[in-house]
This record gives sequence, structure tokens and C-alpha cells, in this order.
Amino acid sequence: MHPTLARLQATTRRHFLRASSLGLGALALSDLGGARADATADPLAPRKPHFPGTAKRVIYLHMSGAPPHLDLLDYKPELVKRTGENCPDEFLKGKRFAFTSGVPKLMGTPQPFKPRGKAGVWMSDAIRPLHEVADDLTVIRSMKTDEFNHAPAELLLYTGFARQGRPSLGAWTCYGLGSESRNLPGFVVLISSGVQPSGGQGCWGSGFLPSVFQGVQCRSKGEPVLYLSDPPGLDRDTRRLGLDALKDLNELQEAELGHPETRTRIAQYELAFRMQLAAAEVMDISREPTKVLDAYGAKPGAGSFANNCLLARRLVEQGVRYVQLFDWGWDFHGTNPNEDIRDGLTRKGTVTTQAVAALLKDLKGRGLLQDTLVVWGGEFGRTPFREGRTAGGQVLGRDHYPDCFSLVLAGGGIKAGHTHGESDDLGFKVAKDLVHVHDLQATVQHCLGFDHTRLTHRFQGRDYRLTDVHGKVVKDILA
Amino acid sequence: MTPPAGPLRLLAAFIVLSATPAARGQAPVDFNRDVRPILSNNCFACHGPDEKVRKGKLRLDTRDGAVEAAVVPGKPADSELLRRVASKDADEVMPPAKHGKPLTAREVDVLTRWVKDGAKYATHWAYVKPVRPVVPKPDLKIEFLPLRNPIDAFLVDRLIREKMLPLPEANRYALVRRVALDLTGLPPTPEEVAAFVADEEPAAYERMVDRMLAKPAFGEHWARLWLDLARYADSAGYADDPPRTIWKYRDYVIQSFNANKRFDTFTVEQLAGDLLPNPTTEQLVATAFHRNTMTNSEGGTNDEEFRNVAVVDRVNTTYTVWMGTSMACAQCHTHKYDPIAQTEFFGSFAFFNQTADADRGDESPTLPFWADDQTAKRKALEARVAELEAALKGKKPDEAKAERDQLAAARKDLAALKPATTVPVMRELPAGQRRKTRLQYRGNFLDLGPDVAEHTPAAFHAFPKDAPKTRLEFARWLVSSENPLTARVVANRFWEQIFGTGLVRTSEEFGTQGELPSHPELLDWLAVDLQSDWDMKRFLKLLVTSAAYRQSAKVSAALFERDPENRLLARGPRVRLTAEMVRDQALFAAGLLSPKMLGPSVRPVQPNLGVNAAFGGSIDWQPSTGEDKFRRGLYTTWRRSNPYPSMSTFDAPNRDTCVVRRARTNTPLQALVTMNDPVYVEAAQALARRMMKDGGATAAEKAAFGFRLCLVRPATDAEVARLVKLYEDAKARFAADPKKAAEFATNPLGPLPKGADAADAAAWTAVANVLLNLDEMLMKR
Repeated sequence: MHPTLARLQATTRRHFLRASSLGLGALALSDLGGARADATADPLAPRKPHFPGTAKRVIYLHMSGAPPHLDLLDYKPELVKRTGENCPDEFLKGKRFAFTSGVPKLMGTPQPFKPRGKAGVWMSDAIRPLHEVADDLTVIRSMKTDEFNHAPAELLLYTGFARQGRPSLGAWTCYGLGSESRNLPGFVVLISSGVQPSGGQGCWGSGFLPSVFQGVQCRSKGEPVLYLSDPPGLDRDTRRLGLDALKDLNELQEAELGHPETRTRIAQYELAFRMQLAAAEVMDISREPTKVLDAYGAKPGAGSFANNCLLARRLVEQGVRYVQLFDWGWDFHGTNPNEDIRDGLTRKGTVTTQAVAALLKDLKGRGLLQDTLVVWGGEFGRTPFREGRTAGGQVLGRDHYPDCFSLVLAGGGIKAGHTHGESDDLGFKVAKDLVHVHDLQATVQHCLGFDHTRLTHRFQGRDYRLTDVHGKVVKDILA
Repeated sequence: MTPPAGPLRLLAAFIVLSATPAARGQAPVDFNRDVRPILSNNCFACHGPDEKVRKGKLRLDTRDGAVEAAVVPGKPADSELLRRVASKDADEVMPPAKHGKPLTAREVDVLTRWVKDGAKYATHWAYVKPVRPVVPKPDLKIEFLPLRNPIDAFLVDRLIREKMLPLPEANRYALVRRVALDLTGLPPTPEEVAAFVADEEPAAYERMVDRMLAKPAFGEHWARLWLDLARYADSAGYADDPPRTIWKYRDYVIQSFNANKRFDTFTVEQLAGDLLPNPTTEQLVATAFHRNTMTNSEGGTNDEEFRNVAVVDRVNTTYTVWMGTSMACAQCHTHKYDPIAQTEFFGSFAFFNQTADADRGDESPTLPFWADDQTAKRKALEARVAELEAALKGKKPDEAKAERDQLAAARKDLAALKPATTVPVMRELPAGQRRKTRLQYRGNFLDLGPDVAEHTPAAFHAFPKDAPKTRLEFARWLVSSENPLTARVVANRFWEQIFGTGLVRTSEEFGTQGELPSHPELLDWLAVDLQSDWDMKRFLKLLVTSAAYRQSAKVSAALFERDPENRLLARGPRVRLTAEMVRDQALFAAGLLSPKMLGPSVRPVQPNLGVNAAFGGSIDWQPSTGEDKFRRGLYTTWRRSNPYPSMSTFDAPNRDTCVVRRARTNTPLQALVTMNDPVYVEAAQALARRMMKDGGATAAEKAAFGFRLCLVRPATDAEVARLVKLYEDAKARFAADPKKAAEFATNPLGPLPKGADAADAAAWTAVANVLLNLDEMLMKR
């Protein structure tokens, strides 16, 4: 067994014994509701899913803004041929677009495309580094969502509902499986390029689940977790002196009033103390070999997507259950040269996929890819026509598009070197094997060992689940 | 006051010995208690009120439906329902495997006995108007376990049946801290503690409660609960989440609680203050309650769509807050569990569909507030405009150029005058602009069905026949004495705040999917009592003067196992403080808390995250200065997309939508907040300086002083000794490193007072930091 995992399982067992020695383990496990407010057992203790899953953990790489899939993964030669023609009325009637009105012009991709890898997965040159791992991926070219604006689309993708208030995919994952790390949060969020995703903290919120399940935002620059560092002037040994006194005083009260939650609080302070070290250590990439840093394109202290990919690997290695990355800068409207689907896209795509490819290779090399599910994609796609607002300018951009887009998955029980679904000739509609975002959610939960219809939480008299009343597992992409 | 040790020990033994469940005979089956939960959880989704999804034409939510096809009253053997739920055949068993687990043997037994007894149905308990029940007279004659009011009679009656006993009263220090925290959200001042402990006259406790109820801090504390319900925030929500000015509403809530406004008045003002005859400014501000819905300004969004979303939220929030009913299900389809049809959802929607607001970026309509000097200026300008207009009347356009220029200038100045602040309000549309409400299929605002007129669901009490179908009458209908729900829901919510868990634990849900009350008669008694005068302070006083509330919070392992959530109240309440209370208490103990009330929201120190909101500005802020840094938590600027992080860690919601019940978690991230957040470090430094200055001569006196500032009660010798040891150990370390000592004692609070020794101050700061993190500190107990 992997030494880290062995150590983790040992601590986990100890932890479990401790919890059950209070005779309270079953309490929290049977009902995780916020109602059991004074839950004395740790709700993050590891739990078994409905059935053995193919993935034990998830790394979700979100490209905030929505990548232009027609210039990256979904090659449409017919659209290229008809570039410049008026968009046929049938694709516009009854539709609303964020920034396009009137009749826009069709626009085929200016990016060269070819089948890549032994499996022949179609990819453009804007994402060259990804060509090298083509045989590890499944590309879905028939994704669909219901929302055409960033915030609702992101919320729908992560919470199953287009408005704030529901638990996110990562929260559901920790609710179902607990965490294997005793020194780190079970659900970590990392943001690059300096801008939060539109859906805000709702994308990693716990909704009506207890807040222990919400994602903890870590930073690759500055203090890695909020309030992690001891105050200036207080060193570790003096902090320890204080914690010892705190423990003694709390134990006096525990003896006096006898409330078991006091014991839990003592344990949480000890965990916080360990987390201070563990989180600082795991977030410090400066001790990674130069070779590894270079492969990702990571630089200590940079706060980049590459750094975050490397951190994602370090976090899952330490038993973190769900790592969510957000990278800003994919909203290719064409309002400035960085948003041009030619050079701008190639620059963004190359830097990004270098880190993605390095992550996949790294996970594979460490034997982690087989049970780590990696997802790469955006909240929707982009139009097969040129965006109305910028159509008069030099920069080529596309508008938001919910009806058909592409998404990449790898590892954790997903087929390697596989393409699923098709769009129609011009890329407006799914032509074959539609995968709604609810189906994606059902599939991710399936990989983790859950029947998505049974991973529920009762709130306001109703059993809620991530997939609402929808969702079908996409069996065809399972290895 | 302290009970003799002997009997107490005996009592403890009694409780442990009786901790095994009481042997119960086979009580008769009660439909609401025993049968409805089984049918509701397992059958109603397909065999319930919603006709569209009903399978096999069978409905089990009404007796007629059940008897027609599946149940033969009195004859279990002939009842198809029982055959199917007990079936081992995968094709026959109900519920089908893909819908849920088979019924347990106990559940099948309950259904069988129910059918045998005649399969009697009963209206869901919460839809039956409460009648004041007879107060029981439990046989408890123990001198130090008095029954102080009817609450105790109901609770003890149940405890005796469970072979349990309550605990004696907690000591006065515990009591004064408990009451102060519950009623004002703050610990008592040393003077308040001294006054109560020294008061040996009868009714000392009641007088102390009255003093707490009269403090302005009362309104600030209780406003918090209401602001969660009202989803009050200082931003408009959605992706850009721009700032919103609506703090006048927050102040309205604080002032209403402090004025002890009757709850029915408070209700009507908020839902329909604008429709009252000659509404006062206060009544108009109250209507901002429903202007706390989110406004969407993202590109390409349809204002009408999000206006509809806001109206839907108003319907849902209203029913949740007043009726404990989740209407949300009925927005898209007829409710699957409760008897609410989709048309009835839109019947309620229609009441709220006639206001002028429409998801606009400027939040109009708003009510302006003018400062005194502005008012004078505005009046002068208005007079000037009127004067010039009159002078120009009848003159030709080419005449009187000077006057025309002056008029233009005056108008410009008038337009440039901005009010001191504004608050979004409800304004009813005038006759010609009324909207038509239509059924929205699957809750889609573009997929419209037939017209729906204003009406309330048939399952609830009747809307008065002669009353006009207005928002105002709807509000009155909610607080009508005929309403079986509102008084129960509100009484239960107050109970939940005081005792930790509601008598109905699902305080947000009183429908068939909610839990049954632990003490149904007590809940009804309280509901009737509250409804008699809707006097909130009187009602709270009733709760906190019960013997149940005044009990010690001590718990044995056996009792804890027996009743971990303290539903039976065989001990006093013990509950973690809310996010706001954790903050306020630390600042209070440190002597930093500002007593300033009301006004614009403030920005206390928070860590800079260095990221921007999507399409928006930085989510970091420039902290307020002066005392605004140290205001109570409820004045913190509430940004929905980025709630104040340290309060969010303690389960403060982001208030996108109505929150009835906050979670109360216990996590390591909370420990990091109270140990390391600069706000708490600053509080520790200030507390340390108080201990050094006012604590006394010796280290032991200083430690004991700090302890009492934080925890109210005197420390034991062991506690003082432990704190002194920490002080000495820490001081030895800091003395060896003056630079660190100076840093820890002064950053961020600022330079030490003249003559203070840095190592000494740093060591006391370490002690203060521990005090602020004690488990006891974080709990009301």
C-alpha cells in the first residue's frame, strides 16, 4: 500500500475508535442534518458509499467563463466551410443570447485540428500539451446545460440548481464519503488569475448541509488558509503552552458539567494546531524538484493555475477528498486580444493544458490516476457564430452557448482514449448521446460509489439531492 | 439556593437507574403520530395530492381514496395496501425498489393495527386550530424542584412518565450569564452581575430578566433572528452582487423589538405597511422586508424573469416565516405531500404580484431620507422653482431669458440634491397598470396557463369572505386568530432560540413532512398564550422564568445518552453561541465593543484575499475606522457573495434566501478564527491590558479578574493556578525575546501604556487568548 495512505488509514482508524468510544459514532452517521446541531461525533469521519466506487476523490478543473469548445475539442468542417454566412434563422428563433441580437455570422474555427493519440481524439493546436495525454481522456462533445449566463450556469453545474442555496458537488462528496485527511479540510478550493468565478462561493457552498462540508478556499499566495498563521510574535512553542492550558481548563469544565461536546472541542483545537502545520506544509511547493515544477509550469509564490494543479496533486495525496480549481480568463467574447480565438486562445490553452497534462501524468506516475476522477471544462459552450457586439472589430470572439458544448474527463473509472456524443454539422445542437449537466453529476457520483437518487438530505420536508429530479449515469464513458 | 448534596446524589442515582426505556404497552395507533409519517414518507410521492404523477389512480392522502381501492377498514387481511407493503415479490412490493426501501416490520405492524382499528384519518395536527389545553398537575413535591409556570407542568408531567426528573436551579452566576446572552446577546456587565447576586429579595430573578429585556441591546440581539428570516443583506445578490442600501430596514427591526411592537402589527407593517391608511414613514420602511429579494443585473438577463423569481421568493418566504410551510414545491407542480395545489401557489403569488419594483438596477421604488440641512435646501429650491414657473406662465419662449436660465439652474440643483440615504420599498401599482397573474407551467414564467385570481389555499383557514383580496388583507389573514399555524410557528421559533431545539424540531416545516412536536399540548398552550396578545417580551419572559430554563446544565453520561439533544429538558439548555455573539462577546470582554446603535453598515477588519468578484470590483474592503471597527456583528456589511469570513465560519448564512434555523457546527476552522483572526488577537491584547490595569496586585488576582470579565462566574483555585502557570511560562519565553513580545502585545492594538513591560503584556495576551477560546466561552450554558 502507498505509505501515505497506510498512515492515513491508521490515523483514520484511531480517529474512528475515539469517536465510537464515546458511543456516539452512530448518531452523526445516521443523521447528518444541521438539525443534529450539537453533533458530537465528527461528521467528516470517512464513510462507505452505496457501492464500491471507481474513484475515491475528485479534482475538478473549472475554466471560468466557458472555453470555446469549437476551437478546442469539437471540430466542425461544415461550419468552417460556411464561415461568414448569416446564421440560419432556425438556430436563432426563440433563443436569447447574452450579447448578440439580430443575425450574426457563422464562424468556423481558425484553429488547425487533428485526431490525437492512438485513440484519435480530435483536438486543436491551441491545446498542444493535451495531445500527449489524449489516450488517457474521455471527451464528451454532447454536453448541454439550461443556462446561458455564467453565474446560474456555474451554480447549475455545481449545485444542480441555477440559484444560490443548494449544496455543491464537493459538499455532497464530503457529506457522502467524509474525508481521509485528519489534518486538512476535506474539500479545498483554489482560484487562479485573481478573479472569483461568477457563481461565487455558492459553487463550493454547503447549502442546507452543515457548513463543515463547504469548500475551504486555500491560497497559493500569502496565508494558505484564512487565519492559519499564529499571530505575529507568537511562536509555535508558546502557542503550544496556550493550547495545553486551554485543554486543561476545558477538561476541568468537562469534569464539572460532563458535556461530551467539550471533548469534541478539545479535539478540534488539537486538529487546528495540526492543520496549521499540515496546511502550511502541503501548500509550500518550493520543495518540489525543479523537474516537477517545470513540467507543470509552476513557480513558488505565483498563484497561477499551474501552481494550483500541482497543489491539487499534493492535496489529494494527503487524503483531501475533493479539490476544486477555478481559472479565470475563458470568456472569449473577443472584447480584447486575449479573448481572440486565434492567438489569445492558443496562449491561454497552451499554458493551461501544460499544467493539466502534467497533472494527469504526475497522478498516473504515482498510481493515483486510477482512483482520482479529473474533470476539465466550463459552465457552458460558445456559439458557432461570431458574437454580435464585437463583430465589427478585428478580434474574433464567440457568445455564450448552453445547447451544446464539450468537456473532458480522466481517471477514476472513466474510459481512456474515448470520445462520447456528437454535435450536429454546424455545432448548434447535440446530434447524438446528449449529456445534460445533471447526467454528468449523476456520473461523477456513480464513480464515487453513489446512486445519485439515494444520496439525499432532508430539508424543509423534502429529500434533496444534487441531481434534483433528473440525471442519468452515462454508462458509455465508464471503463 | 444550592440544594443539599445528599438528595441530589440520590436524584442522580434515580436518573441513571431509570435510564432504560420505559416499558410501553401497545398504545392505540394515532393517525397523525404513527401512520401519516409512514404514508407520507413512503407513499404520497406517487399516491398523494398531485394528480399529475399519481400512479394506479390510487391516492392514500385521503380516507376516501384509500378505502376506494386499497384499504378495507377493520379487515387487514383484505386490504391490498397491507398485502403490497408486506410482499416479498419484487414486482409487487410497495414502494417499488427504485423508489425506496421496503417498510420495516414495525411500520407494517403499525399499518396493520391502524386498518384493524378502522383506518381512521385525521386532519394533519398543525392544520387544526390549537385550543388551550388543560395544564397538567404533575405530582412533584420536591422543595428545590418547583413548578414555576405552566411550561414546567407540561415538561415535568412528561418527565415523570419517562421516569426522569429535572435538575435543580443553576447558580446565580450561570443564570445571569445565560439570561443576558439569551436576551441581549451580550454577557452581563460586572455591575449587573453584582446587583443580581446581591439581591436577596423575592423575585430577584424576575427583576433581572426585566432589566435585560429593557436594554437597547435586546433589540439588536433579537433582530438578528428576524434578519435571517428576512434574508437581509447589504448587497443585491447574483453574480455582480452590487452594494444595496437598505439598512434603514435593519434599524426598523431593531427598533420594533425594542419597542416591543405586537407581533401582529409587526407582521402587517412588513407585508403591507404601504397599504395601511396614511402610512407612516416607519410603516413604509417596514415593507423593505420583501425588498430584500435579490436583483439580477447580469448581461442578457430578462428583468421580468427575475421579477418573477423575486415574487416567488416572497411567496415562499412568507409561508415559511409565518406558516412553517414550504410552498416552493407547489410552484412547479401540485405539492406531493401537503394539500396545496399549483393553482393555489399562484393564488398567493397574485397577492404579491402588484408592486412597482421590477428587478431594476436602481432598486426603484425607493424611499428617500433627507438630512435636516438638505430638507431646508430642497424646500428652498422647490419654492424657487415654483416661483419662477409662476412668473414665466404665459410668457413667450423668447421672453424673460434671465428667469428661464434661473429656472433651469434651480431645477438642476434640485436634481443634484441626493438624499442622505434611501430604502427600497413596496409600492402598489395604480389601477391602470395592474398585472394579470397566470399559472406558470412547471414554474416557467414564459409557459403560461389560465388566469389565477388572488386566493389562499383551501387547506388553510378561510380568507374572510367580505375582505378585499389585497396584500393588506392577506397579511391580516396570516395573523388572524383563526390561523392554526402562525402562533405555533412563532412560539416554536422563540422556544428554539431559548432552549436550543424547537418543540417541533423542523422549525421551518410544520407540514406533513415536518416532525411531530415533542410536547404537542405544551406547544398548543404556548401558541394560544402568544396569540392572546402577541406580546413578544412577555412571551420571552415566560420562557426564561420557567424552572426548566433555570435548571443547571450539568449532564451525566447516562442522561446524555438517554436524551442527547435535550428534547425532554431534564437539564438546562446548553447551546453554542451564534457567530455574532461569539464576536460581540470577545469585544465586550476586551472593553472594545462600541455601544453605537443603528446607521449604515460597517466594515470591520477582514483578511485581504486579493481576488475580484466576477465582473465586479475587489472583494476586499477598506476597514472602517474608529469605533465602527468595533460595532456589534449585526452591523457588519453583509455581502451575499462574500460574507464576512469569520462569522461565516461560525455558520452565519449568506442570506440569499430565508434561513429559519442556522447550523451549529464545531470545527477546527472556528478554532483558527478565535485563536488567530486579528480581530480576536486585538481583543486578547485589550483584555490583557484591562487585567494588568484593573485586575489587582498579584498575578492570581489579575487572572481571576480576566476570568470573571469573560465567564462571569468566579474562577476556582485550580483554574486560577492554571492561568497563572501559563502566564509565568509564557512570560519566561517572551522575556527571552523582547522583539516577539512587543509584536504579540501590540500588533494590531497599538503601543502599550507608558511603563508597561512588553514581556508581561505579551504573557497576559497569551492568557487572554486562552480565555477567549474556552469551551465555556463559546457556549450558552
